[in-house]
Amino acid sequence: MAAIADAHGHGHDEALHHQFEDMDQQNEAYLVGMWTFLVTEVMFFGTLFIIYTLYRSMYQMDWYLAHEALNIPMGGVNTIILLISSFTVAVAVRSAQRRERNLVLWNLGITLVCAVGFLGIKSVEYMEKFQHNLYPGPEFGRHPEYLHGAAPNFAQLYYGLYFGMTGLHAVHVIVGIIVIAYLWVKWFLNAKNVTLDYVPTEMVGLYWHFVDLVWIFLFPLMYLMPKP
Amino acid sequence: MATTPLSKAAGHGGHHEVKFNHLFGNLLALMALMGITIWASYVNFGNSTINNLIALLIASVKACLVIWIFMGVKFATPLTRLWVAVGFIVFILMFGILGDYATRRFEPTAGWELNRPNGGGTALPREWPPAKRPEQGAENFRPRL
Amino acid sequence: MSSIPIEKGLENSSPHQREQANYLTVDWSLKSWLTTGDHKRIGIMYLISISFFFLLGGISAGLIRYELTSPAGRVLESETYNKIFSAHGILMIFTFLVVAIPAVFGNFLLPLMIGARDLAFPRLNLMSWYLYMIGGTLILGGMINGGVDSGWTFYVPYSSMYANSNIALVIVGIFFGGFSSITTGINFIVTTHKMRAPGMTWFRLPLFVWAMYATSVVIILGTPVVAITLLLIVFERVFQLPIFSPELGGDPVLFQHLFWFYSHPAVYIMILPAFGIQSELIANFARKRIFGYHFVAFSTLAIAGLGFLVWGHHMFISSQSMYQGIVFSLISFLVAVPSAVKIFNWTATLYKGNIRLTSPMIYALSFIGLFTVGGLTGLFLGSLGTNVHLTNTYFIVAHFHYVMVGGSLTAFLGALHYWWPKMTGRLYSESLAKWNAVLVFVGFNLTFFPQFVMGWMGMPRRYHYYYFAPEYQPYHLMSTAGASVLALGLIIPGFYLLKSLANGPKASANPWGAHGLEWETASPPVTTNFEQTPIVMDEVYDFDPVLEHEQAQARKALEPTGYEGYEPGALAEPKKDESDLGGKS
Ligand code: HEM
Ligand SMILES: [Cu+2]
Repeated sequence: MAAIADAHGHGHDEALHHQFEDMDQQNEAYLVGMWTFLVTEVMFFGTLFIIYTLYRSMYQMDWYLAHEALNIPMGGVNTIILLISSFTVAVAVRSAQRRERNLVLWNLGITLVCAVGFLGIKSVEYMEKFQHNLYPGPEFGRHPEYLHGAAPNFAQLYYGLYFGMTGLHAVHVIVGIIVIAYLWVKWFLNAKNVTLDYVPTEMVGLYWHFVDLVWIFLFPLMYLMPKP
Repeated sequence: MATTPLSKAAGHGGHHEVKFNHLFGNLLALMALMGITIWASYVNFGNSTINNLIALLIASVKACLVIWIFMGVKFATPLTRLWVAVGFIVFILMFGILGDYATRRFEPTAGWELNRPNGGGTALPREWPPAKRPEQGAENFRPRL
Repeated sequence: MSSIPIEKGLENSSPHQREQANYLTVDWSLKSWLTTGDHKRIGIMYLISISFFFLLGGISAGLIRYELTSPAGRVLESETYNKIFSAHGILMIFTFLVVAIPAVFGNFLLPLMIGARDLAFPRLNLMSWYLYMIGGTLILGGMINGGVDSGWTFYVPYSSMYANSNIALVIVGIFFGGFSSITTGINFIVTTHKMRAPGMTWFRLPLFVWAMYATSVVIILGTPVVAITLLLIVFERVFQLPIFSPELGGDPVLFQHLFWFYSHPAVYIMILPAFGIQSELIANFARKRIFGYHFVAFSTLAIAGLGFLVWGHHMFISSQSMYQGIVFSLISFLVAVPSAVKIFNWTATLYKGNIRLTSPMIYALSFIGLFTVGGLTGLFLGSLGTNVHLTNTYFIVAHFHYVMVGGSLTAFLGALHYWWPKMTGRLYSESLAKWNAVLVFVGFNLTFFPQFVMGWMGMPRRYHYYYFAPEYQPYHLMSTAGASVLALGLIIPGFYLLKSLANGPKASANPWGAHGLEWETASPPVTTNFEQTPIVMDEVYDFDPVLEHEQAQARKALEPTGYEGYEPGALAEPKKDESDLGGKS
């Protein structure tokens, strides 16, 4: 890493931006910046989790009944997919540090495939919910058998949060796909600002891990409620 | 260069390579924990709160693993760690909101609803009504937009 | 503050060469402005855009005041009135005050004050301006096309179910604005941590930097909460996701919790930067080291932290649990302590200082008085019993205008006057500015003090029709009269500041004889801020009392040569070979 770690090479490094003195400063600045951004994301999703906690404690039984319509195998597979993609991104970051371009490309590629797969499965689940009239609105509960006996209004609240939270998570996945694809293309084209400097890859990695992190909580909370 | 003490902590080069086996082991651990979560959600411990606690505990452990190993906080500078911590601390702080709901039922104010199940005593109807199960009907649906 | 330059191979350039290439004159094409990464230019762009929104907010305020001069209303329908006061609140809070000081002065000054070439992420900074403009456009679009009538607080279920106005669009605009704040906050935090010049330790930082840092922390922790909470209203209106709707079991009070979880800290987003400015102005114009630097710095952090624990004082009558109400009341009193620490420190700084009554100083002094009134009435509101009587009356309106207009806006004006020569390189007419500062003070008090009285008497807020209580009319008339004076006081600076751009005399690097890195570079600064990275040797408020005294005497003798009340060396005389680096006053 001699070229990157050259602490006193003012302007020598092609990846060094003009406002920084050296690569160490720049790298830490970017990583701290990314983490502060993730802090805002924590607060962003955290708010939803607070709402969830309150309502769930208020309507335990109905939410339990309503959640029975969720497809646990699909959720489980999605969890596995996200865990794997998190792993491959971590490997990609490691490879970026070692400047192993091929490994980076492969691992980012697998991550992309996983992300798209996640969305695919998610959309199948969503379609199912739509068909069963489990999307909140005037049509909600037209097929009461899918409510499993939950009160329609509280179930509607549950599905409101379900679609809200998983939907926002899915939006994050989509953004992730775009960013990772962009990064992949940069690596593919051998763009100097990613190949000489592992930090862009690491930042994308951090973002993707965060997406995984949210799902780690969403999965048990949404899919795996115990019977009260 | 600017904040010397902090950037020194990053070590020369500013990053530390993770061992591949570490990452892979972490993946396996996460998978295993996921299995345990699914399993534990079906076990009857007599009280569903225990299930919930277990699920949350496991999820937190998984989150820590992801943060610590995958996200490389293990090798991060103190500054980065500070920011990792801040987000979660303030998030937990936000649970103070629930304190409102937890303490409402203890209000001693003499109220007009003396025939409430708890013997009355609150100025406003504070208890959440038991989950009503209204019949399927138009009044459950609302005009929107 | 003294500094020794690092060798960078630029020390041979003459003052004239430097003058040619300042950040404003480098390239005047529109494209160069719209694609700039220069924090100073972005600050100027923000200044222009927030002024525009401030003007709109001001016009709506004028409409409100005019409407209230008669107990039966004057020109507005009730519904229109709702839309106007909502527009006023939303524009003033989300597009002006939350943004104003951080985005204009924070952007412009933070790198200069810590001796950096730029913020850590210049492109992110530019993006934040675009996000802000998109947000502002959406907000305006929503207001023109249907309006909002829920007030700036967007309480559900009115806003989510019943309001027929264009709430969704405006909220999306606020969402964008929120992200603009967040990106600015991230930028400032990283910059403060990582970009300080050698020798600029935490306790040598100017207090404005401390304030910006604390503000940024509040921004990045609070803004996402309100962003998602408001977005849930959009979800409810557009995607029919019932998050807060009571008839399905949702809880509207939860919305209030989440909203105030941000919006109380948001008032600190508005006031903390003002505190920072205040410390700079007071220390400089009292020509004294700020009293209790560490206390001021840590009270900033304490306010930022405690500010997250008091949101419930906005909900005392919202069926919140009274136990939590007690706790919130208590913590609200606690949060007043660090604010008071600041007030006392500034006052102590004034004690035996060589006070110079320049226009920024007049703003700074009126800040102390007005903020004290605002903060103390906050305590009235924060105590459970009186709150029940005072909430939703004009007392609240007066309270928050005393802190937000008397506090933040006054500080904003003070900062504008103080740093105007640095930002533009021109001197405005000080004597006019001084009179204007007095005018603002008078107009402000005339506008808002009567509101305390009528609020105490019971005039509710957000009403435009008080036909059955005409006894309030005199107060409303006073208030409207004051508002006209205040409006004048806000328009006049527009003229003399713009005039100074056209034909004001050129400012020297340090027209106030101030300390601080930003005064050591040229006015206006070059694009890279400093020609050499400065090395900081001593702390920023390093005023030498003996020297100050001597200079005060000298100034008396030299008075006529100064330009209308500036320092004797304020004018940049091209003939004199002044040194604008290392500018000892
Ligand atoms: C000394 C500290 C302060 C205390 C104890 C305090 C207390 C309060 C309380 C209790 C209320 C709620 C009144 C009610 O709705 O019944 C309130 C309202 C308000 N305060 Fe403060 N305040 C303080 C400082 C500030 C500052 C510094 C600002 C802004 C720069 C501010 C801005 C506001 C605003 C905007 C409202 C009205 C919110 C609305 O629209 O309902 N306050 N304050
Ligand atoms: Cu408050």
